[in-house]
Amino acid sequence: MKKHFFNGNNDSGKYGKTYSKLFRNFTGLTIVCSLIPLLLVGWGINIHYTKFAKSRMINSIQSRVEHHGEIIKLFLEEHSSKLKLLAFTQSKAYLREPAHLQHIFEMMNREHNVITDIGVIDENGRHIAYIGPYDLMDKNYFQTFWFAEAMEKGIYISDMFMGFRKEPHFIIAVTRCEEGQKWILRATVNTQAFRSLVENVKIGKTGEVYLINKDGIFQTSPRFSGNIMETAPFPTGPYHDDVTVNLFKGDNPDASFSNQIMAETWLPNPQWKLVVKQDYSEAFADVNHANFATLIFLHLSAISILIVAVFITKYMISVIKKRDIQAENLNQQLMQAGKLASIGELAAGVAHEINNPLAIILTERQILIDLFGVSKTDDAEFSEQFKASMDQIDVQALRCKTITHNLLRFSRRTQSMIETIDLNQFIQEVIELMEREAKTSGIKFIADLDTSLPPILSDPSQLQQVFLNLINNAIHAHKEKSYGTIRITTRIDETKKGVQITFADTGSGISQKNIEKIFDPFFTTKPVGQGTGLGLSICYTIIKQLGGDIAVKSKINEGTGFTLCLPFDLPAELKESMMAS
Amino acid sequence: MIGSRILLVDDEIIFANNMSKLLTSRGYRVITANNGESAIRELEEKDFDVVVLDLKMPGMDGITTLKEIKKLGLFTETLILTGHGSVDTALEAIKIGAYDYLAKPCEINELVEKIEGAWSKKDDGEKKDMQEKIQRVVESPADAFKLFKKKK
Repeated sequence: MKKHFFNGNNDSGKYGKTYSKLFRNFTGLTIVCSLIPLLLVGWGINIHYTKFAKSRMINSIQSRVEHHGEIIKLFLEEHSSKLKLLAFTQSKAYLREPAHLQHIFEMMNREHNVITDIGVIDENGRHIAYIGPYDLMDKNYFQTFWFAEAMEKGIYISDMFMGFRKEPHFIIAVTRCEEGQKWILRATVNTQAFRSLVENVKIGKTGEVYLINKDGIFQTSPRFSGNIMETAPFPTGPYHDDVTVNLFKGDNPDASFSNQIMAETWLPNPQWKLVVKQDYSEAFADVNHANFATLIFLHLSAISILIVAVFITKYMISVIKKRDIQAENLNQQLMQAGKLASIGELAAGVAHEINNPLAIILTERQILIDLFGVSKTDDAEFSEQFKASMDQIDVQALRCKTITHNLLRFSRRTQSMIETIDLNQFIQEVIELMEREAKTSGIKFIADLDTSLPPILSDPSQLQQVFLNLINNAIHAHKEKSYGTIRITTRIDETKKGVQITFADTGSGISQKNIEKIFDPFFTTKPVGQGTGLGLSICYTIIKQLGGDIAVKSKINEGTGFTLCLPFDLPAELKESMMAS
Repeated sequence: MIGSRILLVDDEIIFANNMSKLLTSRGYRVITANNGESAIRELEEKDFDVVVLDLKMPGMDGITTLKEIKKLGLFTETLILTGHGSVDTALEAIKIGAYDYLAKPCEINELVEKIEGAWSKKDDGEKKDMQEKIQRVVESPADAFKLFKKKK
């Protein structure tokens, strides 16, 4: 794993809250900007359309009722006129003849069987002539309600009544005054024919048509609400000329009208009310169906927008997350570089300041040694101790010198030579240089070199320093093992922009905790006094400076692998700065 | 060379004095200067074979001092001795005309070795110069007078 990617995975946790907030905001914004307008427009159009369609529907029902009422009115008027014509063109004497009346009866029923019977009644109410299926000859109608009305008004259409035949029927009666004597021509309208005329309107499964008189008695049989001659369970209301349409919603207290549409018109003579009734749901089924389809489509669109919004937002968040991680990594690299640079400056200062007193200590030591040489002392023990102490001063001062020189090398900036390097040969030379030291630790070098490797442009002195450092570390990693290998591999980079060099050892490995710090200056696991902790941070600085990259992988007790990536050519800015100097 | 005249320039007085003692005990004639300005004065007044010069000093630093020394047009060789072990500065000094450099702290024997090297270079230079002058005198005696007069 690359060192600077260690913290990458923690970023999503660190920013988790921010991302979920961002997700909520984005999704919310999309909903506000697209869903709400869509739904508002959709619902608005839907409501408007429903209103329009319903009013069209109501108009159509209204005109149907009006038309149907007109037909019934014409039927009654036509038959009244026929009777009137008969009564005023034929004399009572002529009509009394059964043959004549029979002939007229047949003529009237020639096309449609609309007249049940026909008869002539004298001014005393006596049936003086009769053609029909009932035995009504000589019946006296003087006491009946219609006789008086007919005698008075001249023409009369009755409501449905039972009469002598005990069946619901209604009559049309015409009165004529002939030679000072009144007589009546009366015809019974065929109830079946009349009913089929009235009820023959196709209005679905729930629709019904009926006539009702102003006393609330059904003149025809409604499909559901009752039977002919029965009193309706609801009020009829007063006579008026207009056609009215009423909608009875579910909240109507009268259960018989709930959820129904009812259109009505009054006939003038007789005053019967034509009622057309249908269930609301059936009447508006088409409108409701269209509405339902529109709303389904609308909400499906809304849901799909919502889903797309969520997916797009998720994708965007993942892109942002990726960018953040990259930025964070870059930041860490910059911080690492900055840290190294400032430590480098500090180190150079410290090294210089330490070198001076160190130089004085060494000169003082030399003066003492010089003086001891010329002095005459017989004390052998003192002489021995003196020499041992002087040697130790030298050893320790040199140790300090190594440290300060390493520090100075670490802080040193570019001032190097660019050369074309055959990396394979270069590595062979480095191996030869280190082979003797490795052999004493029981370590073998394995060089796995790619012969097709092209030469690269780089700084050999700095590269050598890096290679020696890495090999030294690898040898040191085998301290607790009696034998091992260091495998050096060269390959062309996957991106074809450079070479990849791997130093893999079989040493003790680096713990996960330490691997994060190995490139930090002064980090060492060696005992105090044996390591400066600068080797790898120098390697890191050098490789970065040469435009490359260094990464480490390690497993405890199995070994460590350092992978260096070096470009075929140096970065342009480095080249320029070197040219300038 | 025993008896060589050494000018030791270092702002660390104790170090300069110690070095002076050590070099004196090894047969050199040593004079110390604690900054660039007094070093130049000493060089103007007396003859030296080798100057041992510190790079990092307050006031006139080593590189400036070296440039000034070079301006004097002497045969004296300069050896850089510095705690500032930076290769860059040392290389710059050598470009300007220093004989070599040595990083502090160093062994007295190392220093003596370098001084000897510097001395022989200076000696070679002088000898070569002398030979050239003799050659010129032989070729054109009229110029000889001018040459020796200028030297004085």
